[in-house]
Order: sequence, then C-alpha cells, then structure tokens
Amino acid sequence: MALKMLGNMLRTTRTTSSLVVTRWKSSNTEKKLTVYDPYVTKPQKNKETYLEVIRMFEGQDIRRRGHVEFIYASLARMKEFGVEKDLEVYKALVDVLPKGKFIPTNIFQAEFLHYPKQQQCAVDLLEQMEDNSVMPDSEMEEMLMNIFGRRGIPLRKFWRMMYWMPKFKNLSPWYLPEHLPNDTMELAMLAIQRITSVDPDTKISIWQTEEIEASLDKTWIVSAQSRMQQVLLEEQPPDEPLAIKGPYSVYLRDQVVTYFILLGKIRPEHKDDKDLDDVSNIEKPPGIPGFIGKTTLPAVKCTVHEQDDGTIVAVCATGTSSRDSLLSWIRLLEKYGNPVLSDIPVIFTLIAPPADIAIQETQPAVTDDKETTKS
Amino acid sequence: MSIIFNKTLKTVIYFRHYSVLCKRLDNSPLLSCFAQSFIPVNRSLFWEKERKGGYRSQENVSYIEHMKNGYKELKVELKLFAKEMKEFLEADPLLIARPGETDLLWCFNEPTVLDNFVTTCDSDHNEGFSTCHFDMSPAGRANFHGYLDTRVPKDGRIKKAGYCAIRSKRVRKSFKRGSTYNWSLYNTLVLKVRGDGRSYLLNISCEGYYDITWNDIYHYVLYTRGGPYWQIAKIPFSKFVLGSKGRLQDRQSRMRFDKVTHFGVSCGDKINGPFNLEIEYVGDDVSTDYPKTVVFGNS
Repeated sequence: MALKMLGNMLRTTRTTSSLVVTRWKSSNTEKKLTVYDPYVTKPQKNKETYLEVIRMFEGQDIRRRGHVEFIYASLARMKEFGVEKDLEVYKALVDVLPKGKFIPTNIFQAEFLHYPKQQQCAVDLLEQMEDNSVMPDSEMEEMLMNIFGRRGIPLRKFWRMMYWMPKFKNLSPWYLPEHLPNDTMELAMLAIQRITSVDPDTKISIWQTEEIEASLDKTWIVSAQSRMQQVLLEEQPPDEPLAIKGPYSVYLRDQVVTYFILLGKIRPEHKDDKDLDDVSNIEKPPGIPGFIGKTTLPAVKCTVHEQDDGTIVAVCATGTSSRDSLLSWIRLLEKYGNPVLSDIPVIFTLIAPPADIAIQETQPAVTDDKETTKS
Repeated sequence: MSIIFNKTLKTVIYFRHYSVLCKRLDNSPLLSCFAQSFIPVNRSLFWEKERKGGYRSQENVSYIEHMKNGYKELKVELKLFAKEMKEFLEADPLLIARPGETDLLWCFNEPTVLDNFVTTCDSDHNEGFSTCHFDMSPAGRANFHGYLDTRVPKDGRIKKAGYCAIRSKRVRKSFKRGSTYNWSLYNTLVLKVRGDGRSYLLNISCEGYYDITWNDIYHYVLYTRGGPYWQIAKIPFSKFVLGSKGRLQDRQSRMRFDKVTHFGVSCGDKINGPFNLEIEYVGDDVSTDYPKTVVFGNS
C-alpha cells in the first residue's frame, strides 16, 4: 500500500498534473481522494483571474506548502487562460518560490543539485517560456538569482536562453509585427505583401465587390499585380484560356490565409537560329556607335512571374474565397487596367470546393485546440 | 501461441522501463504482447547502446534467412563495386569548386531520387498524430507535405508531440560499407524551394564513430516566403548551430565537412495544420562572401 501511494505521488509530480490540492476525504464507509482546483472555479478565464489565483495561493499559507505542485499545475493551465505568452505571469509564478532558502551555502550543495525538485520545476517553467517564445528579462534573472543563487541550474538555463533567443528572434527575412492583426482583411494584406515581395514593383489594391453590380457576395478583395504582370497579361494569346488556381494557403505564424492565383500560359520559347560566328554579313563595323547584333530582349523567362507551370499574372485573396467573389475579381481586374480580360476566357480550377463546405480532417482523436483558419 | 511467446521474449530484452516502480508490470509477457506502443529506451547517462536510441525498426531474422537475403543482394553489391572501381580508375577527383556554380546533391526531377530519403513523424512510433509524405508534386518536383498535429497522446509518458521530417539515407559504398559526403570544397548550402510561409529546420548530421557524436546535428532555419514563386535559399555552413538530440550545445564547433552523413528537413513549428514544402534541388556552392571557418557562436 505504501509503495502504491509513493508511486502515485511520484507520478503526479512527474507529469504536469492538474491536481492542485489533494486531500483524503474520509467518511464512515470509504476513503476517497478529493481534488480542489482553484483554476476550475474561476468563471472568467483571463490574466486577472490567473494572477488572482497565484496571489490567493501565496496568501493562504505562510509556508507555501506544495508550491512546486502548484507551479506545475499553473503551467498546465496557462493556455486555458490565454496567458502563455505573457512574461508578467511567468514572473508571478517564479515569485511563488521562496527567496534565499534554496541558495547553496557550501560547495557540496552547489555541486549536488541543492533542492533538486524546485530547481527542476524552475527549469521546466523556463522551458515552457522558451517553447512559447517568451524572452525573459533581467528582472527574471534577479529573481532567479535571489531564489537559487548563481550556481543554480535554472540560472544556467536562463543564461543559455538569453544567449540564443535574441540570436534567433529577428532572423526571418519576412518581417511580421509582434501581434498579428485580428482583422482578416489586414491579415490578407500582410500575406499578399509577403507573397508578392519577389517583385518590388507590385501594386496591391483593395477592392469591394459592390463595384460590380452582378456580384452576389459583397466582400473585399486584396489583389496584387505588378506592371510587369500587366504586360504579360496583355501578351497572352487571346484564344487560350487563363486559369484561376487555388485555394492555396500561406501561413503568417499561426494564422492561415487562403489565396488564389491567375495563371496564364508560358510564352513560346524564342528561337534564334542566327550563327553568332557568321561574319559574312556584318552591317556596321565595330567602333561606330549603335547596336550590333540583336536589340530584342532575351525572350525566355526573364521575369520572375514566368514559372515552370505557367505565368502568374495576378494574385488575390478574397473575404469569402467563393467562386462568385473570384468572378468579381476578374471583372475588377478588367476594370482597373487589364482590358484584355474581356476577350480571354477564364477557367476556374479550384482544388476543393471553396468555403461553402468545410472539410474535416479525419484524425484519430478529438481536437483540443480550435483551428484558426481564415479565408 | 508458442510463436507469440518467443517473440515477446525477444522484445522484452530490449525493453527499458520508464519507472522502476512499473518494472513488474512491464515484465509480464502478456501485457507487453498486447501493448500497442513500443516503449523506447528513455535515457542512458553514460553510453548509447544503439544509434537509433531505442527506436528499433528492423526485424530480427534467423541466420538462414539472413544468409538468403545476403545472397540476393550480392549481385547488386558486385555491380556497385564494379562501378566504384571504374570511377576510381577513370574519374579525377573534384579539386576546385567554382564560385557561383551550384553543384547539385539531389535534383528532384524524377521519382527515383525520392528513394534516397525516408520520412519520419511522431505517429510512426505512436507518439503523436502528425502524418507526412514525400512524393512528387503536380509541378514535377519533390513535395514534402502532411499534417502537423501538436496534440499529445494521453499515455502519461509523452510531454510534447508534433514533428515531421525527411532525412537522406546513409550514403554507402559497396558491400554495405558506410561512407560520408565530402563537402569540404563548399561553404554554402543552396536549396530551391517553394513553401507555405512556415519555417522549416534544415538538419545536417555528422555522425562520428563514438557514441557521443551519434546525435550531433547542425541546424538552421529555412524560412519560406509562401506563395506560387520559387525561392532560392543560400545558407552558409557557418550559420548552422550544433545541437545534440535537439538541444543547442554550449560549445559550438565547426562542422566536419568531410564527414557529413545525413541531410534532412523537418517541420515542427508547433502550429497545427497542413504543411507543404516543394523542393526542386539541394546543392552546395562556394561563395567568397562568407568565411568558412567561423563558428556561429563566435561570429
């Protein structure tokens, strides 16, 4: 029995359990374990209530018994309260640990992991910060220093984090603001900007489908086209249809934006049969100003928009991602600078039925987190 | 029944128990026989027993079967040996890399090139729910795609989940002799990719002879733009950081360019959802812009 209890205790501390306070509730007939979790009883799950629970724990017992278990339980509840990216909350949790008590006073203590469970707990807390890409600051260092001393393992973890995290923080060549906008249109704008950053000449415009009278969906369209693409579109053979392809998705951190592309045909390969070494027919001797040789531009794939599978002539994201909004997009493109589109047929080759029907991925278990799919 | 029993006896030998308290439970042959998930070796403090770290995927076969399989492979190996000898006699080694010219390691223009790679994800070992595939895309390039799922299976053992990876197979010479890539001429890794805006991790493993080097992998992030346009990523080797079992090391060291064993790409950015990375080629280049000898931490 004692072994079983010990096993239970070990297991609860090893995994980040949600048990905060456990008591043996004894009645006349049977003994059972009751669970008291202050996080469950909070009706509002936000930062204030989370901090309130921490303050409550600090206030209820002067010895703060079970603070390691409390920290583990609080770490597990962070996502539920939406505070997993908040540095202040992590600091409040570190503050639960008593100051001065865990600082080793001789070399043996320093070497042999003084208060191992508490140190491991603080390391796990820092690890969770790292996973949520929260960078600690120097105040955190002071706090950890006051708790564990400068020989503590949590301090080593902290210093490693402060060495590496700034190195990777702004590494991405495509800058994103720290907080992504909540508005889907602004998000789509960011996504289209990112996609079309290959061509700095690209002009991004926001249109409303209400401009087209025949449109059914009243929504917005973020469309991007460069002058180069306009020329490429004009040069498209009028009898061959263009294709709208999509929906494809692009990630901006954890947000997904769906976009569509208008794809044209690739220009025919330029054939140059002229023999460059043929000197029998030189019109102008060298040294005289002017052109010698051909003056046309190299014909094949000189622009970035000409990819292997076709020429990308425009990119867009719409509010509803529906067929009708895409039709309005074509009409708006025609209205603003692409009159060729009135003659060229356009085919819709959409991979999956757009937005009207939601497709669920078949997964072996139930999804815990709600998916953040935006279109 | 006797066959099952034999099998369980074999597997029991390779079991490492998670907790000492659970020892009796795991040892019972019936439980381990019906256990859905194979529990790999968790940690050994002093030495690594095997390169796979407990994730044994190969089956144990009898000696007779082993000999039969070996005889079948003899023809292929002899052919490979003949090719090696021919190359040795005919071809001169490459002495100079031309700056600006990319030497391709893998050009994914035909399906046979994909056989050089293996995919791994956490659902392979019942440690998560992610799935991934590596096949040809409609555009005729390699496509690494799948679904990343960070849900943790509720078995009380796993803390985190959510990774998918491709890795090249170990390069070898004939008769199963191990070999390595020699990239000492180059200083830049070049990839032509088309991603979906996620960031991926490039992994270059330099496994050595001793067990402490078995898990040495040099990492760098591959940021993808997303969208229909291809991008060429050129990453100097000096940017790669040394990690062991996914942990960045305090003391960074230079990659052994002549002892590169694997190249891989992994997706594990903790974002649930489908991912898609199209790769046209992976190559090496030499660029005069970057110093070769500088280690990330010191630069």
